[in-house]
Amino acid sequence: MKRALLLAVLGALVLPASAFAHASLRKESPGFRQRLAAPPRQIVLQFDQTVDALPKAIQVFTPRGTNVAETPHAVQSARELVVSLPRLPKGPYTVRWQALSNDGHIVSGVYTFGVGVPAPPVTDAVGAQGPTRTEDLVRWLYFLGLALAVGGVGFRLLVARGPIPPRAQKRFFWVTGIGIVVVLESGIAGFLLRGEDFLQLPFSRFLYGDLSPLATGTRFGQTFVIMELGFALIAALIYLAWLTDRSAFLWVSFALGLVFVSGLSLSGHSAADAGHSWLSELADWVHLSSATLWVGGLVQLAVVVWPGWPELRRTAFLRFSRLATVLIALILGAGTYLSILRLPHVHDLWTTGYGHVLLVKLGLVVLALAWGAAHHFLAVPRIERDGVVGALGRTLVAESAVAMSVLLLAAVLTDSKPPPQPVTKTPVAAVSTRR
Amino acid sequence: MIVAGIEPQAEMVHWWFATGVLILGLLFVAETIVGKEVWARRPWRRYLWPGTLFLLGVLMWPVMALYTNSMIHMVAHGSWAQVLMLSGAAELGVARGKLHSQYWRLTTAAAMLVSGTAFLVHEQNGWYFARAAFLHHALGWTLIGASVFPIAQAIRPRSLVAATGFACTFLVIAVLLYSDRDTAAIFGHFSQFAGLPHR
Repeated sequence: MKRALLLAVLGALVLPASAFAHASLRKESPGFRQRLAAPPRQIVLQFDQTVDALPKAIQVFTPRGTNVAETPHAVQSARELVVSLPRLPKGPYTVRWQALSNDGHIVSGVYTFGVGVPAPPVTDAVGAQGPTRTEDLVRWLYFLGLALAVGGVGFRLLVARGPIPPRAQKRFFWVTGIGIVVVLESGIAGFLLRGEDFLQLPFSRFLYGDLSPLATGTRFGQTFVIMELGFALIAALIYLAWLTDRSAFLWVSFALGLVFVSGLSLSGHSAADAGHSWLSELADWVHLSSATLWVGGLVQLAVVVWPGWPELRRTAFLRFSRLATVLIALILGAGTYLSILRLPHVHDLWTTGYGHVLLVKLGLVVLALAWGAAHHFLAVPRIERDGVVGALGRTLVAESAVAMSVLLLAAVLTDSKPPPQPVTKTPVAAVSTRR
Repeated sequence: MIVAGIEPQAEMVHWWFATGVLILGLLFVAETIVGKEVWARRPWRRYLWPGTLFLLGVLMWPVMALYTNSMIHMVAHGSWAQVLMLSGAAELGVARGKLHSQYWRLTTAAAMLVSGTAFLVHEQNGWYFARAAFLHHALGWTLIGASVFPIAQAIRPRSLVAATGFACTFLVIAVLLYSDRDTAAIFGHFSQFAGLPHR
């Protein structure tokens, strides 16, 4: 009897039927981002469940936004939607589809293909508007979260190392905890906003929009998946460090944090734009990691050490001052290299939108540097000589605020497109990328 | 296409989590039968179910990130991942002695409310539209209704009724998740091998 029961349970586990979720697109022809030598006669969408064809179930848009698809119909046990096409001229095309799923929900999606040319990513599909101000804000929150979490843990391990008073300990975990939650939430929000942009659906339909082309077919999406999983793991490790009072968990989370931060460098301008190389990706990672440690350290100094651990103020300030000098050198070195790479002409600084934002960012960086220099050259000698740290708390908060403003400009820059690179060789059909 | 290559069938994932919830339910039943004092005689046993809860939350993140074929599913799985982790973290904190107030149990009640709401929000059809709809409604209302048990446990930690109700809730949820087989009529269509799915 027991054996029969066990076999029944195992049988149930190895013989899965279809999911109770709504219909999903399983296969499409032409394929997702496929480059075709000859124009296709029809579009065929194959689903995992039966679907009903809705009016305008498949629309095929030219780059000018003209729909060239004829009336679609469902075939083959209603699991396929098919639409005939006229002879398409050479160029990229955007397919927008919608179907009434078996469970009553309207599922929708977008993908691209090219006839004689490379297909653009879905983020450049016809109708997509590109990053908005809301996305800039969400990305800023993402950077802030990274600074609070990864930079905060780095500060605890490298600067405020050793046993820590309970009050400071509590503050440290609150700050890093908030940081990691912000990273996870703003990561999801950023992904959904990008999905909303390329799907171009009203909210009720967006709920059932297919985001998989973004998740699997773009660097942005793949990075989102990897970083979200990575930072969920880091959240668990930081929590375990709090629960068990073992710094080993913090070391692992810090190392993983620096590794996963590289996702932004491997999916951003430094990895996707013309002129990119392993060096540009490395420079971007150094720039971002150093900024994360610098801003996160400043916040920890102002919010954790100053109010919660007065006896460490002097030591922590002196140690952080030394670390910050190295970090600033790295930020400036990598930042200068990346600026030269993205803005090949000096006049790009005042003639392009990207240059304008970069100028404002540089202005704020100079302000932050001046603040840091004042701390380094005026406050540090005084502390070393007299041991007085008095009013530094407020100026640290102000310096942190300036540093966070720099991150806002960095977020805007990440979502902006740098000016095109000068063409020096025979033009090659490059894949269009926004990121 | 790395993500698509490693994506398991949705059915399998539902059953893995059903197994996790079943384990949780059985642990709650065992704790209720022997009583909290006997259960806590072995220190490691105190961490068993809070640890499982937390682990289920961590494991829910890949589900959120890999199943992006609709926005609502992504958000729902994301919310389950977060509340499972939060609830497990609070219960682990209490078990470890890091958190002292018994009212931290309210985190689990909040997690059940959020989870139930996520089930209901991501189902737009009525109860009897199909088995999927029925299960979503049943799971959602079970979780929302059963959130009174951890609230009762926070107020009266020794309440046998609250502990039994809490344990039974997880067993019911496991059964409902195991029933997640296809888009069939309410209870009649157990697999693709039984013929065409009902609309």
